[in-house]
Amino acid sequence: MFDVIPTAFIFFAAAAILLTLPKGPARGLLLLITPIIAALQVWNAGFGNFAQVGFFGFELELMRLDGLSRIFTMVFCLAAFLGNLYAWHVRDTVQQIAALLYAGSAIGAVLAGDMITLFFYWEGTAIASVFLIWARRTEGAYNTGMRYLIIQVASGVVLIAGVALFYREAGTIAFDRMTLESPGTWLIFLSFGVKCAFPLLHNWLQDSYPAATVTGTVILSAFTTKLAVYALARGFAGTEILIYIGTVMTLFPIFFAEIENDLRRVLAYSLNNQLGFMVVGIGIGTEMALNGTASHAFAHILYKALLFMSVGAVLFRTGTSKASELGGLYRTMPKTAIFCLVGAASISAFPLFSGFVTKSLTLTAVAEEHRIIIWLCLVFASAGVLSHSGIKIPFFAFFAHDSGKRPKEAPTHMLWAMGITAFLCIAIGVYPAPLYAILPYEVSDAHPYTMGHVTGQLQLLLFALLAFAFLYRKGIHPPEIRAVNIDTDWTYRKAGPAVLYWLSWVVSSCYNWIVGILARTTQRTIKRLYNSHGPEGRMARNWPTGAMVMAIAVLLGATLLVNFLI
Amino acid sequence: MAQKPKDDPATYPALGRMMTWVDKKGSDKKIVWALGIACLIVFLLDFTYEKYGHFQVEYIRGFYAFYGFVMFTGLILVAKALRFFIKRPEDYYGDKAIDTEEYPADQLDIQENTDV
Repeated sequence: MFDVIPTAFIFFAAAAILLTLPKGPARGLLLLITPIIAALQVWNAGFGNFAQVGFFGFELELMRLDGLSRIFTMVFCLAAFLGNLYAWHVRDTVQQIAALLYAGSAIGAVLAGDMITLFFYWEGTAIASVFLIWARRTEGAYNTGMRYLIIQVASGVVLIAGVALFYREAGTIAFDRMTLESPGTWLIFLSFGVKCAFPLLHNWLQDSYPAATVTGTVILSAFTTKLAVYALARGFAGTEILIYIGTVMTLFPIFFAEIENDLRRVLAYSLNNQLGFMVVGIGIGTEMALNGTASHAFAHILYKALLFMSVGAVLFRTGTSKASELGGLYRTMPKTAIFCLVGAASISAFPLFSGFVTKSLTLTAVAEEHRIIIWLCLVFASAGVLSHSGIKIPFFAFFAHDSGKRPKEAPTHMLWAMGITAFLCIAIGVYPAPLYAILPYEVSDAHPYTMGHVTGQLQLLLFALLAFAFLYRKGIHPPEIRAVNIDTDWTYRKAGPAVLYWLSWVVSSCYNWIVGILARTTQRTIKRLYNSHGPEGRMARNWPTGAMVMAIAVLLGATLLVNFLI
Repeated sequence: MAQKPKDDPATYPALGRMMTWVDKKGSDKKIVWALGIACLIVFLLDFTYEKYGHFQVEYIRGFYAFYGFVMFTGLILVAKALRFFIKRPEDYYGDKAIDTEEYPADQLDIQENTDV
């Protein structure tokens, strides 16, 4: 039936096998081997459509491999491997199965050649991933997971509605480039936008990622949003509106990240900001811009995972990831601190680190389109990345004031996971050629290490660092305090319930008032009827027979009189 | 908040002991000076090569330095102002939110550093 087994099925099969294995290293090994097998399979398969299957008269394509889908599949396999290595100590079957199904679904969605397959895997990522949040097993995590699930599943529902409309208009379910001109494509676009955390649709990300388990967040950070980036790159490359959406995405999270206390939520805001760079690249839509997006997604998955790993290790050893409670941890967690600094340097795009060689593709693509406002915004956002991910995360966790905490260094498997990831971040930065070689389009003239690029970027970052040093020493930099900041989740966590409460009060008051009036009226009527027709009532009295004869005599007399008179 | 453990730097890992230099008296000044000198160097470097760019601003020497410093400062000030509007107490969303609950200790491996 298939030329090759669809890669997603390898993960699903592994999930089934995992259940038969005893808890312990055997499961850990399976979790590590599965992504390696998947990556080898994809690498050796070449390009083409390998698995078609009929489905209610539709031809589904389960395995479409080309330049774009290959790089995303490869990095998803890499992320699954590193995430599972980081989670080596986890003995929770739910999380292990969820990690496999989630990675499998995300890869299945990337390899989907039609939009019905895409829909199935799209919902698969939603359902599998929520268990990584619920696995924390607290009431708060349960509630957060519910909100996450509702939004993610809703995104899938919008997607299938869009696909149905699109099929009626275009007569095809093929997942290829679309233009925003019909309700169907708009719905598909909206669905991608929810998962990609577009501005105002973004808050599920910052709400849910800090709620997942230590290892769950690392795995969550890789897949859902980058799947959406892939879907946008596949379906809506060159769509102008994405440039503006992406620019806003790079900007607004940096302000929120700056004042957020929970470091895992800071990273979630930062993730949102990084997605903005990729979305701008998709909006530009040139080959160089799409290369920028794909390579940035690749590098981003690695350094973002590294940052989540280091903060996760801190949480694992101290029980908190709040900046106000941390500080000075480099003394006893020096390796974690150094890996965190590598992640920070990579996301800030310091020369010789991965972010530098990938972000410069997107920035150059924007510059080549001569969009100066967008370009200035992105350069500003690059300085903003430095502020929260480059400085805030390592500085307030590992340096700054001494919290007095002296936790033990992270466990060995976590150090290995962080070490490999850190190595890759530096390797890509120093020698980007292998990454450039697997980009969707041929890289013709990417020269990140020109004097102009390097000096420009170093000036931007070092002077921003200088500004930080100045503001911090003068006490102007906002201190880390225990607090939450409201974001759009306020609308459905506070405003929505308040409005519902108010509405229910109004409706119930009206109801009580109307029912009260009806009850009083009915009571009065019954009372009157009782008075007249009740046992004591005038109409129900027992009249003596004489009175009856008298009444008849009067009646007959009256009749006689009337007759006589007429 | 700051618990005072029996703090003996001799128990830190070797790498951690080396890094305690950053907390030595006067080190912070040295770091800031080093940063200042690095800034000066990259600023002066801008005068040593032929500039190339897509926009006029890219030809201005020291543009990135100026832009980085000013925009970063602006970002911090705006974020500080934003905090005035959106900051709420930690228990704002009630006690059934993750912000107030402790991370379940049985899923963690909280350990003090005991190596010697």
